[in-house]
Amino acid sequence: MENIAGHKPALTWVTRICVLVLVILWLVPTVGLFVSSFRDRDDISASPWWQAPFPTEQTSAARISGEPALVDDVYVLTGNLKDGEEGIGKITAFGVSRSDPTGIVAGEETELRGGGTLVVNADGSYEMRTPEEPSDKGQRVYFAAEVPPEFTTDNYERVLYSNGMAQAFINTFTVTIPATVIPILIAAFAAYALAWMQFPGRGLLIAGVVGLLVVPLQLALVPLLRLHNDIGIGQSFVGIWLAHTGFGLPLAIYLLRNYMVGLPKDIIEGAKVDGATDFQIFTRIVLPLSFPALASFAIFQFLWTWNDLLVAKVFLPSDSGSWVMTRKIADDLLGSRGGDWGILATAAFVSIAVPIAVFFLMQRYLVRGLLAGSVK
Amino acid sequence: MKKVLFAGVAASAMIAGNAHAQDLMFAPGDGDFHWDSYQAFADANDLAGQTVTITGPWTGNEKERVEKVFDYFEAATGATVEYSGSDSFEQDIVISAEAGSAPNLAVFPQPGLAADMAKRGLLTPLPEGTAEWVAENFAAGQSWVDLGTYADQDGNDQLYGLFYRADLKSLVWYVPEAFEEMGYEIPESMEDLKALTQQIVDDGGTPWCIGLGSGAATGWPATDWVEDLMLRTQPASVYDQWVTNELPFNDPAVIGAINEFGWFARTDGYADGGAEAVASTDFRDSPTGLFELPPKCYMHRQASFIPAFFPEDVEVGTDADFFYFPSYAEKDLGNPVLGAGTLFGITSPSDATNTFLEFMKLPIAHEAWMAQGGFLTAHAGVNTGLYNTDSERAMGEILQGATTFRFDGSDLMPGEIGAGAFWTGMVDYTTGASAEDVTAAIQSRWNEIK
Repeated sequence: MENIAGHKPALTWVTRICVLVLVILWLVPTVGLFVSSFRDRDDISASPWWQAPFPTEQTSAARISGEPALVDDVYVLTGNLKDGEEGIGKITAFGVSRSDPTGIVAGEETELRGGGTLVVNADGSYEMRTPEEPSDKGQRVYFAAEVPPEFTTDNYERVLYSNGMAQAFINTFTVTIPATVIPILIAAFAAYALAWMQFPGRGLLIAGVVGLLVVPLQLALVPLLRLHNDIGIGQSFVGIWLAHTGFGLPLAIYLLRNYMVGLPKDIIEGAKVDGATDFQIFTRIVLPLSFPALASFAIFQFLWTWNDLLVAKVFLPSDSGSWVMTRKIADDLLGSRGGDWGILATAAFVSIAVPIAVFFLMQRYLVRGLLAGSVK
Repeated sequence: MKKVLFAGVAASAMIAGNAHAQDLMFAPGDGDFHWDSYQAFADANDLAGQTVTITGPWTGNEKERVEKVFDYFEAATGATVEYSGSDSFEQDIVISAEAGSAPNLAVFPQPGLAADMAKRGLLTPLPEGTAEWVAENFAAGQSWVDLGTYADQDGNDQLYGLFYRADLKSLVWYVPEAFEEMGYEIPESMEDLKALTQQIVDDGGTPWCIGLGSGAATGWPATDWVEDLMLRTQPASVYDQWVTNELPFNDPAVIGAINEFGWFARTDGYADGGAEAVASTDFRDSPTGLFELPPKCYMHRQASFIPAFFPEDVEVGTDADFFYFPSYAEKDLGNPVLGAGTLFGITSPSDATNTFLEFMKLPIAHEAWMAQGGFLTAHAGVNTGLYNTDSERAMGEILQGATTFRFDGSDLMPGEIGAGAFWTGMVDYTTGASAEDVTAAIQSRWNEIK
């Protein structure tokens, strides 16, 4: 360490370690969800996800019954606990009462309450000897055995192949794409005007837009829906596009305006001197240079509309043909009282697949847009 | 086989506008359903081309089941029923009613919200004569009428809610095999139940699994406990006064009931994990303790819906069973039953809607869901033989044989109390606050909103 001169390398390492720790911290819940999405509901409540890859010792119950053989006036019943049961490893202990299900080490003999003896071996084979004929119901026996880890794709099958999932997926796209494009179109024009055109009241207008950022959209749900009903849009896809546009505009305008204001003044003034109209400046110069800001807002808006449940419930018709994916998951797959963690985790992964893909695609454009800005 | 098929076809052909008849679960004429009244209803009504829209809290497989019931209405009248379930029904219905795009009917999971909407003029009273019909045809009919009657905008009481589907809350779930192995008997009285609780502790076990966790609604399972114990320590009239706050929340009667709950939940060793765990365990995870080996607990007091959260391989009736949460032998208060239920209310009136409500009065509307399971009804005219399982039949009989039926009190109190202060107060109590402090705090909240 001493031969590295200066503080910088050490600082770099500290930064790197910090970043690494943060990344791990952020990833832990996602990994947990991912592992849980491959597990059965009962497994999820039985053991935590970080123990999922390892075999666990589980206590199970079985019944010993069958046709006993009579040997020297004693009824002898033999068999194997593993018969008909899959995925049971070595048996370590057994018992004959619920309150003490693993009190006897495998291979040792125990007395039964009704008289007689029972022995269960590590390989699952057992021998029960009773002086009287055992009842048809059979003898309860409890045993602890190693159970190999079990993963299943059932959750994914249930989520992906449930009725109407494809329709919900298409509906989500039908909502999301226009709800991302429309506000960007409007906001780009507005942002240019607010950044580079001189007109009275501009400052107030900007302040107004910033002020709208703090208005919670929940406040607008009822009046907006009433308005839609009055003007005949009602609950429809057009209605939700307008709603998302309205809710997204303040942030879009604010973000784009701040970015556009920061563009080099010389270029725009130069263009004006050369006789370019505002529209030409906007389309030829400002818009291409603002690409990174447009892309980053598009990501924001896309993610928010993709994940939205509330606005979709209010502004879309409630029949299952116009459900978006979030509604399909919350109202149909999870059932009336929730608690199905496997489905929840799986649904989360299915629904983030598209946003992740979009993010990685847009990230490429983000970098390209930045480069274009610097090279001019 | 062929004969049955023909009979089914013949019967369904008799029904007017039988566009959907072939999709019906049970062909009209088959089984011990009340087909006669259905047939008469079908003959009397023709709503071809009309639509009834309904929204409610039933989603997932409950939605599938109720839609199969609605199929019978569609087959009988030719109308279309559009049902949509929502996980956040309580918010959605208020928004759509306020905005003027409400469906014809809403299914309310508790009367509090319906009463609130009636007061704001968002509900339409049920057709005349419904009150008399409910009083006559439901077990403990008048109490169901009272539960569906709310003040309108001008303060006049009108019937707004028709109850359909009930939940039974006074149940204790247990594993018969565990009881058998330990030689425990089903307690017949509260005294026996308390003695059994102590005996299980003496035998080295833990008697109770109690979980109050439920996300934003954490605490509600404890309010059910207190309500049940209130009914077992006080006459029903005192319970009614408590719900309307004629009896202050910090009255010794209420404090007594809360301390009774504390006896179960706060006594060391009585509840799995101790009082701290009671407050933090999710109510959905809580019953799994019954089925663990060795058992984490032997008894779990919860409503009739809880088997939905039992592990998948548990079969109700053999692996798990229930008994009535008993009343005190020494107090002569009868066998009170605590329950809850969902009710239909009219959010946007139409003729087809009224006809639909007529259909909901028919035994078949109840029987068609009974036969699918997960449904209890207070309708006295149904064939209880049609219940899907023996345990549901037993629950249905508890419901119909109740000497006193009382609705979940926290659902009747104002939302701020019944879905707020009471819940959080019970969490505070479970984690160590005294019943006096907790009830005084709830009462002062109630005074504020009066």
